[in-house]
Amino acid sequence: MTQALTKYHAMYEAVRSRRRRPEVPKGLDALANKAVVRARNLRARPAWLMAQAREIDRLSPSIRGLAEAALDEQIREARDRFVRGREDDALVRRSLALTREVARRVTGEEPFVVQLMGALALYHGRIVEMLTGEGKTLTGSIAAPLLAWKHKHLHVLTVNDYLARRDAESRAPIYNRCLLAVGAIQQEMDQAARFEVYARQIVYGTPKQITADYLRDQIRMGQMLSAWAGRQQLVQRGGGPLVPGLQACLVDEADAVLIDEGVVPLIIARSRQEDEMSEVYRTAAGLAARLDEGPDYRIEHVKRRAELKRRGEARLEGMFGDLAAGGEPLWRATRRAEELVRQALVAKHCYKHGQQYHTVDGRIVIVDEYTGRFLPDRSWEHGLHQAVEAKEGVTVTADRETLARMSFQRFFRSYPFLCGMTGTAADATGEMEKVYGRPVVVVPTNRPLIRGQWPTRVFRTGDAKWHAIIGSIAELHRAGRPVLVGTRSIAASEFLAERLSNRGLTHTVLNALHDKEEAELIAHAGQGRKAGQEPAITVATNMAGRGTDILLDAAAREAGGLHVMLTEMHGAQRIDRQFIGRAGRQGDPGSAQTFVSLDDELVRQHTKRLGQAALRSTGGEEITGSPLVRRLFRLAQRRSEAHARRGREAVLRQDDWMEKYLPGA
Amino acid sequence: MAERPTFSPFWHRVRAMKPRLRPHVQITRQFYRGRRWHVVRDPSSNQFYRLNPIAHEFVGLFDGTRTVEEIWKIVLERHGDAAPTQGEAIQLISQLYNSNLLSADVSPETEQLLRRGRERTKQKATQQAIGIMYFKIRVFNPDRYLAWIEPLLRPLLNVWGFGLWALFVIFAMAQVLPEWETLKSGFDSAIAPANWGWLIVVFIVTKAIHETGHGVICKRYGGQVPEFGFMLLVLFPAPYVDASAAWALPSKWKRMAVGAGGMIFELFVASVAALIWKNSPDGSVVRQVAYNAMFTASLSTILFNANPLMRFDGYFILSDLLEVPNLMQRSMKMLQYLWKVHVFRLKNETPPTGSPAEATILVVYGVAAMVYRVFLFISITLSVMGRLFAIGLVLAVWTGVMWFVLPVGKFVHWLATGSNIADCRGRVIATSLASFALLFGAIGLIPFDDHRRARGVIESVEDTGVFFGTTGFVQAAHVRPGQFVRAGDPLLTCSNDQMVAQLAQLEAQIAEAEATEQRAMGNDQAAAAQIAREQLAALHEQAAYVRERLGRLVVRAPHDGRVVGQDLQQMVGSFVEQGAAACQVVDPADLRVVALLDQREAAWPTALGLEEFTAEVRLYSRVQDALGADVERVVALQKSLPHASFTAQGGGQIETDPEQRSGLLAKDPQLKMYLRLAHAEGAAPDEGWLGMPGERVALRFTLPSKPLLVQWLDRLHKMVQGKVNI
Repeated sequence: MTQALTKYHAMYEAVRSRRRRPEVPKGLDALANKAVVRARNLRARPAWLMAQAREIDRLSPSIRGLAEAALDEQIREARDRFVRGREDDALVRRSLALTREVARRVTGEEPFVVQLMGALALYHGRIVEMLTGEGKTLTGSIAAPLLAWKHKHLHVLTVNDYLARRDAESRAPIYNRCLLAVGAIQQEMDQAARFEVYARQIVYGTPKQITADYLRDQIRMGQMLSAWAGRQQLVQRGGGPLVPGLQACLVDEADAVLIDEGVVPLIIARSRQEDEMSEVYRTAAGLAARLDEGPDYRIEHVKRRAELKRRGEARLEGMFGDLAAGGEPLWRATRRAEELVRQALVAKHCYKHGQQYHTVDGRIVIVDEYTGRFLPDRSWEHGLHQAVEAKEGVTVTADRETLARMSFQRFFRSYPFLCGMTGTAADATGEMEKVYGRPVVVVPTNRPLIRGQWPTRVFRTGDAKWHAIIGSIAELHRAGRPVLVGTRSIAASEFLAERLSNRGLTHTVLNALHDKEEAELIAHAGQGRKAGQEPAITVATNMAGRGTDILLDAAAREAGGLHVMLTEMHGAQRIDRQFIGRAGRQGDPGSAQTFVSLDDELVRQHTKRLGQAALRSTGGEEITGSPLVRRLFRLAQRRSEAHARRGREAVLRQDDWMEKYLPGA
Repeated sequence: MAERPTFSPFWHRVRAMKPRLRPHVQITRQFYRGRRWHVVRDPSSNQFYRLNPIAHEFVGLFDGTRTVEEIWKIVLERHGDAAPTQGEAIQLISQLYNSNLLSADVSPETEQLLRRGRERTKQKATQQAIGIMYFKIRVFNPDRYLAWIEPLLRPLLNVWGFGLWALFVIFAMAQVLPEWETLKSGFDSAIAPANWGWLIVVFIVTKAIHETGHGVICKRYGGQVPEFGFMLLVLFPAPYVDASAAWALPSKWKRMAVGAGGMIFELFVASVAALIWKNSPDGSVVRQVAYNAMFTASLSTILFNANPLMRFDGYFILSDLLEVPNLMQRSMKMLQYLWKVHVFRLKNETPPTGSPAEATILVVYGVAAMVYRVFLFISITLSVMGRLFAIGLVLAVWTGVMWFVLPVGKFVHWLATGSNIADCRGRVIATSLASFALLFGAIGLIPFDDHRRARGVIESVEDTGVFFGTTGFVQAAHVRPGQFVRAGDPLLTCSNDQMVAQLAQLEAQIAEAEATEQRAMGNDQAAAAQIAREQLAALHEQAAYVRERLGRLVVRAPHDGRVVGQDLQQMVGSFVEQGAAACQVVDPADLRVVALLDQREAAWPTALGLEEFTAEVRLYSRVQDALGADVERVVALQKSLPHASFTAQGGGQIETDPEQRSGLLAKDPQLKMYLRLAHAEGAAPDEGWLGMPGERVALRFTLPSKPLLVQWLDRLHKMVQGKVNI
């Protein structure tokens, strides 16, 4: 009976949540919305949050003295009041003091006052910016119980499965003590296991997993308008929805999840059985190879588009004629055929092995350009994937057809309650406010930051840059400092690894590995020189091991802490800051430096002409001294940020349009 | 041309749908410039949608059993590249669906349905708010009445009826036009405030008949007319009917007939009114009402309804005639397209039409409509502001916002956020700024002639009158009016017999007195001689006087000049008193122009030196010739007027002080300016001659060149100054 009721309730919530169709306001509405967000921000100002946090801190001594049973009793009482919706500021303060005490007793870590402030900000639905290493996990874990009590179900979203499982496991004692069940959704879980985890009050997972489950629920529920209409499904086992509605969400690494991943909508697709097209793609790749860049076509690298020129069109016309005579009907329709060739051109020029994809066991695996991670279950749409396969000469798979699609922005906006934590949110304040209606609160550091920021070094060519990087690594290595080198792509990390090996420098490379190994490897990135051990050199793509702290050992601390090197600027300043933030955590010593060259992809794509002008107007290898050139890199980065933002806006706009004007759900 | 990607990422939303056109939807075929189109119409909501033949074929396959994917593949198979792409198909489905023309097998969520309804209401409300100047109030459904009227008129609603109508209108015009002068003179009293009440009543009635005209003809061709109401046209109630059903008529002539129906009915009314006017007694109410009806029904029809540059009947008729639907909107799109392609050099822009002929029409119409719009804006606001300043101001601000601020705002928004210029935004913004700078430079920096106007009168500095020196009868006239004379030339000769006799008598007396004197001298009577001498002297004096007066019988020109005045020949034989005016002799070198300037215009002549501006004079009698004039002096503001022809009573424009009997004192002080007409160097005095005293002239002053913007602001400032205390 209870089981059935729970199922029915899940169905009810799931149907209810699909009715919420949040659209991003436009025009004057957007202005009004901004004003509302600002107005809501008025009460929970940072100063107010800090004052509240201090009050909580004053409550702590009295709670510290409580016996275990008394503590449990108080927790139960607080939970009951939350569940009944009777919470007020005093109760929130008291409850946070309680969860703080639980955290202290269970894990031995007592949250600092700034962490209390962060937890309060989370409770009030803020995006909280806390520097890397300031204890976001702990902050989240004392706020989560309150949110779970209040909203019944809380999803805690993080960047990868490993972190989800690790956090769920390490935080479980706290949550259990707070009378909450916790679980983590993992990629390899089957339906039944997922069903069981989703029923818990706190669910850890990655946005991809949860969004996909939610979307599959949507597909399964089809046109269902009410839970009552879907009661028949409940009778069958597993017929009910997996995700019992969307109620509250706490996003760890909010900028990565909410912003960077917003570029690509989540798509549920299945392979199309019909249409044997592999030959067509191969032919298109062959045709593309016969055209010449320049006279026949032009490539827009930023937009990833190919534009055929008149000569190219004329030449293709002839080739199509021959093919059509050969009996393939597709080549008769010029537009479609040209499209295929253009796609082949894009695959040829804009998609590079080691950057956008990798070949694993004769298959094309997409590489996430932001994280450098493999995305084995993803494929590009509308034949692009096939075009890349044809280009690489691997088996051309069947085209996949979309069953459902949803932008992450829309998904997150579907949560009535959303909050998040990140190391770098301030850069994205505008977008957080506009898209998610969430103000950003910056939480001060517990201890002052003493990381040294070394000046950025600028080179004319990539060769000179790599040479200088290796020199710098060697030098720091001799000084006994552990070094973490960030690269933008897998290809770059392998290139660097090879050159380090040539120099005889022992190092570890982290790229597209499994999350768990990555975390373990990166945890050792803070080792200094000890008996029988050289200081660590770690080469990693930018997102590798994110969420794992790099702990310094005594030797490393002695030598001056971790040194972080960026071998290239990323597409967004946030990502640079995030990576640099790995050094100097919690008042540790450390330093960071960025190396850039006019050969870098960022410059080539976004400030091509200026870059060439700079190349002509300067001489020598290193041109660090020129302030104009330094500004050029920031300009390129800004353009890249704007480009990405436009991409996200377009995704959101299309999504809103689809929801609004297309029939059905 | 823009790319048309075959696939759309949203295809999954419609792929499996089995849509069906709603059963009550009507599809009619229309031809535009030789190309076939299909108009899909929902009679219940009067929503329209125009489809090209392939889209029509696509939509035609919506039978509720095939899926969209199947249908798309069928069309793709048949038409290849011409078939709609997935994106276009989605667009089409979504628009049909959202216009309620399509039912899908999906059960749309109630919420979605409700939201669609809400949004439509909201959209309507926004449109109303934006078009506050064209606010619509629905009153009733006239269909029943039209269904009753239409059969009665049906025998006439055809070509023959149209011919009869044309004959009747021509007949009425032929009747009325000979009395054109009377018609013209009635105009002033028709627009006088006293007549406004009648005018409004007559306007509403004639317009109601006008709208009935549309309705009846629409009904004649089978269209429904579901709405009759009032549209607050610039806050003035004007009736309207919803005859949009006509848009779906397959024949363009029928559509045009519906569009012209209003004017046909209204001109009929005007013709009837004209006949009544002609045949009713002067001063009767019937005549007045008939005049009003004739006036509103003809003038407003010609000025507004028939004008294709505004969105009234004429526009729709023209649109149908040229077979260019959505003329206005697409013209604007065409102009924008041309600008984007040629000035911004954007690629991937789609022109609103592919046919060169249509493109030409769109460009010509677009430019004309824009120019007209600006002209209308300026002239309406200025004239309304001149009379009802506050309303005019509101109107000006409103129209200014709607026609200029909003489009500019939209443009700026597009510049800032438009996704189609994402990769060349900098260049487009720079081009826009440059174009703006060019425009601003043209009106804000480049100096243009600054002209001011005034009215004046010609006057003579010296007296020009020629008077009779003595009383007498005119005997002969030696000159004709307009003849040029030199000083001393005889003009008239008079006779005075009495004076001749008197002289004879005096001469006799003189002779007598001389004799007496001689005698006395001979007699050595010194005393007597003395007396006689004195007498003689007196007599000589008298005779001299008489002789002098006799000499004055010949009237001579006092100076060089031209004879002006009545025909002297007519005076021959008449008796004239001494001092009576005979004629005038005007010396052209002595003529000057006196001009009056309103006190608001008083600033510049005093601020500028006399040599800094030039003046040009045109006689009312010879407007074609501009004469140069030199400003002699400027006299500060005075109320006294130099000539009666300046006053409102005298045909001028200056209001006089009613308190003053003389009628030559203005209500507001005026600036006086004296100018001398410049004569051509070396020309004979006769040749430079133009105008005569008392003749009215128009003056145009050319001030130092100033940018147009400065000039406009100056003028606006002056206009506002008169109305508001600043």
